[in-house]
Amino acid sequence: MAETLFYLLGALALAFAVGVVRARMPLFSVLSLLGSFFCLSGIYLLLGFPFLAATQLLVYAGAIMVLFLFVIMLLNLGDEAQLERHAGLSLSGRRLFVGGTAAALLGIVGLAAAQMNTTFVAGEVPQGRALDDLPTLAGLLFTRYMLPFEAASLLLLATMVGVIVLAKRQRGTSAVEAEAEAPALPAPPLSSGAPR
Amino acid sequence: MVIVKRKELSLAERLYLPEVFRALSITFRAIFKKKVTRQYPEERLVTTAVTRGQPRLVLLDDNQHLACVSCGLCEIACPAYAITIDGAETERCIEREPKRFEIDMLRCILCGFCEEACPKDAIFMSDELELADFSRAALIYDIEKLKRPRAALQPRIDYFYGANDRWRKRSSTS
Amino acid sequence: MSPLLVTILKVLLIYGGVITLAAGMTLAERKVSAWIQWRIGPNRVGPFGTLQPLADGIKFIFKEELIPDGANKFLFRLAPVLAAAPAMMAIAVIPFAGEITLFGVHTTLSIADIPISALYVVAVSGLGVYGVILGGWSSNSKYSLLGGLRASAQMVSYELSLILAILSIVVLSGSLDLRAIVAAQAGGIQDWNLWRQPLAFGLFVIATFAETNRHPFDFAECEPELVGGFHTEYSSMKFALFFLGEYVAMIVMASMTATLFLGGPEVPFWHGAPWFVQLFAFLAKTSVFLFLFLWVRWTLPRFRFDQLMRLGWKVMLPLSLANVFLTGLVVSFF
Repeated sequence: MAETLFYLLGALALAFAVGVVRARMPLFSVLSLLGSFFCLSGIYLLLGFPFLAATQLLVYAGAIMVLFLFVIMLLNLGDEAQLERHAGLSLSGRRLFVGGTAAALLGIVGLAAAQMNTTFVAGEVPQGRALDDLPTLAGLLFTRYMLPFEAASLLLLATMVGVIVLAKRQRGTSAVEAEAEAPALPAPPLSSGAPR
Repeated sequence: MVIVKRKELSLAERLYLPEVFRALSITFRAIFKKKVTRQYPEERLVTTAVTRGQPRLVLLDDNQHLACVSCGLCEIACPAYAITIDGAETERCIEREPKRFEIDMLRCILCGFCEEACPKDAIFMSDELELADFSRAALIYDIEKLKRPRAALQPRIDYFYGANDRWRKRSSTS
Repeated sequence: MSPLLVTILKVLLIYGGVITLAAGMTLAERKVSAWIQWRIGPNRVGPFGTLQPLADGIKFIFKEELIPDGANKFLFRLAPVLAAAPAMMAIAVIPFAGEITLFGVHTTLSIADIPISALYVVAVSGLGVYGVILGGWSSNSKYSLLGGLRASAQMVSYELSLILAILSIVVLSGSLDLRAIVAAQAGGIQDWNLWRQPLAFGLFVIATFAETNRHPFDFAECEPELVGGFHTEYSSMKFALFFLGEYVAMIVMASMTATLFLGGPEVPFWHGAPWFVQLFAFLAKTSVFLFLFLWVRWTLPRFRFDQLMRLGWKVMLPLSLANVFLTGLVVSFF
C-alpha cells in the first residue's frame, strides 16, 4: 500500500513538474508547481517525516507560491507570448537554454545522489530516538550541521539585502535621470536662471 | 480657504487598542437595548389623517356614482403621468363622468398633487399603503379598485380642508 | 466494532458537527448583527429563526449558476473547492475532547492525533488563500482580481505573526502536538497559556482575524470598494462553498485559540473529566472566540490597506519576534 502510494505520488510529482515547464500560462505553471509540492509533501509523510511535510506545505505552498501568484497577477502575465519583450532571447532559444540548464543540474544532482552515502545521518541519531523526533532534528541542525545551516541563512540574507539595494537604487537613478532630462526640455523664454 | 486642523490624537487613541475596547463595550451594551424593529404583518404602521397613502376616488352619497366629472385637472397635475381619464356623457345633472379612470400604481409617487388639483373633491389620498401583486397589469387600478365610500376617506377630507382653511384665511386677510 | 469503523464514525460525527456549527454561525452572524443594531434579526423560519440556515441553503441550491464570459472555467470551478477544503482539512487534528470509549474501542475525540498537529493546522489553513486568489483571478473581473491580490498580500503578511505566536507557545510547551499543549495547561484557570503569553494571545487573535479575512481586515471582500471582492462573480452553491469555507476557517481559528491559550478541552480544576464535559468546555471556550469574530465585525470599521500592511509588518511582526526571543530566553535560563 505504502509503496504503491509512493510511486503514485512520485509519478504525479513528475507529471506536475513537466506541467510547470509545459504550461503556456505562467499561472498554470505556478499551480503545477503547487501540485508538485503537494506530492512531495505526501512522499515526505510516507517516508516518516511529518515535520518536513508540514514545513514544505507551510513555507513553499503557503507563502512562497502565494507571492509568485501575487507577482504574476500584478504583472498580468496572461500568456508566454507577453514575456517575449522582456527577454533578449527568442522563445525557442530560451527554451533550449532553460532545458539545457535544467538537464545539467539534474545530472549533477543525480551524480551527487549516486555518490552519496545515504546513511550519513543514521549513526548520529542518539540511541532510542527516531530521526523525525523534533528535538533530535533540531539538535543535529544546531550542532553537527550548524555551518551549512548558517551558511544557507547567510545566503538568504545576502539575497534579501541585494534585492533591497537593487530596488532602492533603481528608484534613485530614475529620479536622477528625470532631473538630468529636465534641461533637455525646451527652455521657457526669458529664462534667466529663474527657478521653475 | 479654510484650513481644517485635524485633532491631535492622544497616545491612547494612537495605540488603537483602548479605543477598540471602548467600541466593543458600546456595541456589547447595544445588544441588550430595546429593539426598534416593527414586526410588519403583525404590527402595522399606525395611520392618521396626515398619512398620504395611495389616491382613491370618492363615491357620492348614493354609493353608486363617482364625484368625478372627468375634468382632467388631476391628469395634468400628475407629475408621474400615472392618471389616464376617458370622459363620457351622463344623464345625471353633472353631465360628464369618467368612462375610464386608471391610476398606474407603479408610476404613482404618492405626491398628492391630484388631491390638490381636484375642483370637485373627488380624489383623496387614502391611508392605504400596501401595494403588491404578481403582475404589472394588475397594478394599474381602474374605477372598481379605486372607488371608496365617502365615509372611508372622511378623516383625510376633514384634515385636507383644515389645512386648506389655514391658507384661505391667510389669503383673505392679506 | 473495528477501529477503522470507529474512525469513520468519528469523521462523520465531527464533520457533521462542524458543518452544523458553521450553518449555525451564519444564523448567529445575522442575529448578533441585528442585536447590535437594535434589531431582532431573522425570526420567521422555525422557532426564533433557527431553521433560517436551512432555508438559505435551499435558496442557494435553486439559484442560477453563472460563469462569466471570459472567465477561466476550470479555475473558476476549482476555486471554491480550494477555499473550503483546507479549512475542512485543518479540523482533523483539533482535539475536541480527551479519551472516549466508542463501541468498545478506546480512542480520543479528534480525527487524527499527529505529533505535529499545531504546525499542520497552520500549514493547511494557510492554503485557503489559493481559493481566494484563484477565484479572484479566474472571474475575469477587475473587482475580483483586486480582491484576490489584496488577500494574497494580506495572508502572507499575517501568517508570519500567526506562526510566531504559535511558536512562542510551542517553545513554552516543548511540543508541536496540540494534545501535549493541552496537557501542559491542565489544572486551574491560572495554568492557561493566556496568562503566561498574553502578548502572543493578543497577536494570535488579531492575526486570526486577518487569516480568516474577517472584519476589520476583510480586504478580499471589501464591499464598498470592490462590490464583493473575490466572490463578486460567484453565485449559487459555488458562492455557498466560499461562505462555508470562511465559516469553517473561523471555527478552526477559534478552536485553535481555545486550544493554545485556554487549555482546549481541559476542564479547569477537574482533570480527567468525562468526555462530554470536556467537549462542552471546549465548545464553550471556542464559542467565546466565535462570538468575538461576530462582535468585532459589527463594531470596527475596515482598515485602509496601507494601514493593514503597516500594522502587519511594522507592529505585529517585530512584537511577535521579540516575544519569541524573550520566551526562548526565559525557557533556557529559568
